[in-house]
Amino acid sequence: MGLLDATYAALRLLFSADPELWGIVGVSLSVTLRAMLIAMPLGIGSGYLLATLRFPGRRALIVVIQGLLASPTVVVGLLLYLLLSRQGIFGQLHLLFTQTAMVAGQALIALPVLTAFSLSALQGADPRARETAVALGASAPRIGWTMLVEVRFALMAAVCNAFGRIVSEIGCSLMVGGNIAGVTRNIPTAIALETSKGDFAQGIALGIVLLVVALGINSAFAFFQGESRQ
Amino acid sequence: MSLLAVAMLAKSFGERRLLAIESLSLSAGERYVLTGENGSGKSTLLRILAGIEAPNRGDGCYAGRRFDWRPYPDWLRREVIYVHQQPYLFHTSVSENIAYGLRARGVDTGERERLVAAAIAWARLQHLLLTPPQKLSGGERQRVALARAWVLAPKVLLLDEPTANLDSESRRQTIDLLHGFCGARTTAVIACHDRDVIALPNMRRLHLLDGGIRVTGGPAP
Repeated sequence: MGLLDATYAALRLLFSADPELWGIVGVSLSVTLRAMLIAMPLGIGSGYLLATLRFPGRRALIVVIQGLLASPTVVVGLLLYLLLSRQGIFGQLHLLFTQTAMVAGQALIALPVLTAFSLSALQGADPRARETAVALGASAPRIGWTMLVEVRFALMAAVCNAFGRIVSEIGCSLMVGGNIAGVTRNIPTAIALETSKGDFAQGIALGIVLLVVALGINSAFAFFQGESRQ
Repeated sequence: MSLLAVAMLAKSFGERRLLAIESLSLSAGERYVLTGENGSGKSTLLRILAGIEAPNRGDGCYAGRRFDWRPYPDWLRREVIYVHQQPYLFHTSVSENIAYGLRARGVDTGERERLVAAAIAWARLQHLLLTPPQKLSGGERQRVALARAWVLAPKVLLLDEPTANLDSESRRQTIDLLHGFCGARTTAVIACHDRDVIALPNMRRLHLLDGGIRVTGGPAP
């Protein structure tokens, strides 16, 4: 099957409401959104604390977090696999090869991205913003919220970046999810599987969905950023 | 009557000693202009009094009540307001900027809206309500910042070069607002070299020289 034929077949598949294909898309989005819901408060909160608190070892911690930005997802998957396997310390939870394990893995991958980008955004904020909030008598939680609102577009960029990284990662999902049809098979693992079987149509169709999701999120971000500058 | 007093106040940056003030007492309801060379520590002194920076050492007393600089007490933060030389306006509306301190103080919605409307009228900002704060001119920003401070009815107002870098019309409008703001209810310290501000009625003068405060011209504080 040539590339054109495969693309044509992929488009037909997309518009045919194929339950298997859209089930895979559903698993992908569900796992990634749940991972983001967990990672966002933790990552942005950690970034805020690192930006505002001074404690011994802070610089070393920042270097480690920035180093984790480039950590291979398959290594995160391997570590999580060891923790969740029968011999692992969380083996009794029987989470291996479940969506919960995939959510945990993706949240771990997103965490350093959100922390490092939030830290960078807050460090780059105008220092007068914090001083003004302090001078106007704001409490510590209100100052924190004000600062996050002031750098909201940089935080949105961090969220887009983290989302893009985990929605397309394959290493961790494959290792701790197991690529079980209808349960833990998501877009990247399905693309890898279908391509290895020579079924390019479904691979291309899922690739198109991934691209549309990524473009949609970035377009929404660009739109809101543009609106704010009107 | 002394409202805010400091003694043996010292502030250094590395080896450089910036402030070494034996005593300074600000009387209730008085207005002061703070002068001094560039780099003499005017802004630092105001920032210390406002609790934004801490001195290396020094005693503080407000209305007969002693306080520590680190941490600066919350009760005092509600009495003292500092306005930056180049005021920062939050990325929200003009009204929300003015309401910020009221929200921080837990003022209920109805009262907050009433006070914000009064502050907008006081600073003549009605025509700027739909303009994003980041698109305001320097003079307009200064007026929003003054309204944001005025609405809180502070006991002590600390202003850092409020008329610097403003065109003549903005300068005149800002001075008019200052004249109305610094009244019997508010003790004001204005770091400034603007002759028109110095010439405001009943203005006492403080001069920073070699880290100490000296009184030059006007009635002694």
